[in-house]
Amino acid sequence: MTEIVMQNLGRDFGDFTALADMDLTIGSGEFVALLGPSGCGKSTTMNMIAGMLDPSHGEIRFDGRNMNGVPMAKRGVGFVFQNYAIFTHMTVRDNLAYGLRAQGVGRAETDRRVGDIAELLQLTPMLERKAAGLSVNILQRLAIGRSAVVEPAIFLLDEPLSNVDAAFRAVMRAELKSLQRQFRQTMVYVTHDQLEAMTMADRIAVMDHGKLLQVGTPLEVYNHPADTFVARFIGAPGMNLLRGTLRGGDTGHTVDLGAAGHCPVPTRQGGEVLFGFRPEQVHPDAAGPLQMTVATVERIGARTILHLAAGEHRAKAVLDSETPVPDQGEPFRFAVTPDDVRLFDPETERAI
Amino acid sequence: MQRSLSFEIFRYAAIFTFLALSLIPTIWMISMAFKPIAEWQASGADLTWWPENPTLDNFRFIFGESGSDLIVALERTAGRPILASLLAATFGTLIAMVAGTSAAYGLSRFGAGGNLPLALIQLRIFPPMAVMIPVMIMWAFLGLIDTWYGLALIYGIVTMPFSFWLMKTFFDDMPREIEDAALVEGCSRWRVFLKITLPMMRPALASSALFVFILNWSDYLIALLLTTRDWVTIPVYMASLSSSMTGQLYGAKAALGLIAAVPPVIMGIAIQKQLVRGLTFGALKE
Repeated sequence: MTEIVMQNLGRDFGDFTALADMDLTIGSGEFVALLGPSGCGKSTTMNMIAGMLDPSHGEIRFDGRNMNGVPMAKRGVGFVFQNYAIFTHMTVRDNLAYGLRAQGVGRAETDRRVGDIAELLQLTPMLERKAAGLSVNILQRLAIGRSAVVEPAIFLLDEPLSNVDAAFRAVMRAELKSLQRQFRQTMVYVTHDQLEAMTMADRIAVMDHGKLLQVGTPLEVYNHPADTFVARFIGAPGMNLLRGTLRGGDTGHTVDLGAAGHCPVPTRQGGEVLFGFRPEQVHPDAAGPLQMTVATVERIGARTILHLAAGEHRAKAVLDSETPVPDQGEPFRFAVTPDDVRLFDPETERAI
Repeated sequence: MQRSLSFEIFRYAAIFTFLALSLIPTIWMISMAFKPIAEWQASGADLTWWPENPTLDNFRFIFGESGSDLIVALERTAGRPILASLLAATFGTLIAMVAGTSAAYGLSRFGAGGNLPLALIQLRIFPPMAVMIPVMIMWAFLGLIDTWYGLALIYGIVTMPFSFWLMKTFFDDMPREIEDAALVEGCSRWRVFLKITLPMMRPALASSALFVFILNWSDYLIALLLTTRDWVTIPVYMASLSSSMTGQLYGAKAALGLIAAVPPVIMGIAIQKQLVRGLTFGALKE
């Protein structure tokens, strides 16, 4: 259990800034997901925490101890790689025991701990098998086991579930979470899958283009995105953002959305705004203030996704599959509760 | 897929032509090695595909045993040149592999040497002849002429670029994460290299070593220039198998050729599993 503090942390590769001035504190025993698209700097951050990469500026502290220049072997971190990096010429047992042997742990102790972790991850039946030729799902568990067996104070996972199949991913999400509850390590989890971040993490750090955009609990980043990127990235589908003009009036403020209509909002200052609302927060309402045309209807079992258009506006609505929906090409009238509306500045893209 | 008859005929004709070109010389050598002098000396119409009276005379002859029909006095027997070839080629390969692998690892992982590696292949850009004269003088100065280790040293130097470039592409293809995973578990760089990298590189090492060994084993020019008497190698010795009376001693040459083919074949079979398996890092998903 270790607290990780990143202060003014940055990394450049030549002219390219992979990470710019990151300030983030990860509490002891906390599970933080670094979430963002490819190239957002999340893996760079992770590699610097592990010591594989030196920061260009700023520092990383573990429990107050400055880690700059400390070689990765001495940091006490466990690292699970996206491609697993299993030693294929060794057996499953030797892979699991590798870290313990490297640290000079005794034979009896090594055997006991390897046995325990193998049991936990259901690897016991293949302990003596060569790692080459094992299925991806098993390699994935082996990679986690190999890092977990040394009981590192900090556990780093770099997109560990991106190669496994969807069903197994759901199983592993639950297992990783319970593993972390059991050991209470500080866990940093890099992913581009917002679902993984939302389901597992205590807090999510959303990143894009080398910048940390927002840190918060899954519900905070979902309900109160700090900017339009976070709004679009979190949620499936992401938040709808329609360009409009905020106008004051006798009965309160409304956002003029042109072809889509007008929607009342809690009083704010006037001007150009981006009008944001979650697809899940669309309420079909024949008397609703907003109207758009149905472009396509996507039925995905329990839910129905409507793709809507009105002039230049595009939006999506997620409805219960029981809800009657209009056909393609027909108008769809709906309301959004004013409290669910999020407004963003179209210039800075920050939340207003 | 339906192919026309003429295409099939052409296809098989091409296959058989290629097979003939590669197999007939080998078959001819094997056959000739077991022919008595009368048969391999025969000219024109008397030549046969297979020995009519198979004999080991040719082998006896090159190892200096009497009893052969050949009345030619050999300056030396084949035993010593075989030993010379084995020593020079083996140690030359060892030098090339150790130096080439280390250099390739350094460049591939740490960019060691910067732009230097181009210079490494310069020895190969020159025709060997161009550098061999200065090398002869250097070797003479160092007292390495006509020694097996002198030969091994130059073999190592000349073939090192090959092992270097081969190993470099293999190292480039090996994902760094494998080593990082071991490093993060608390291993030293050297231990990672010896316990993780090299074992995983075994197929690459085996195929590079075989390639380099065959280069060294079949060298003629360098051995011709750098050896005189005690440590001539098989190719040089083979060229000397002629006499003023009988001309080229084809039977003896064929027998020696057959012996010379043995080590590479054994090596090839020994590492066949590695070669077939090739470089499969099975546990990695892209």
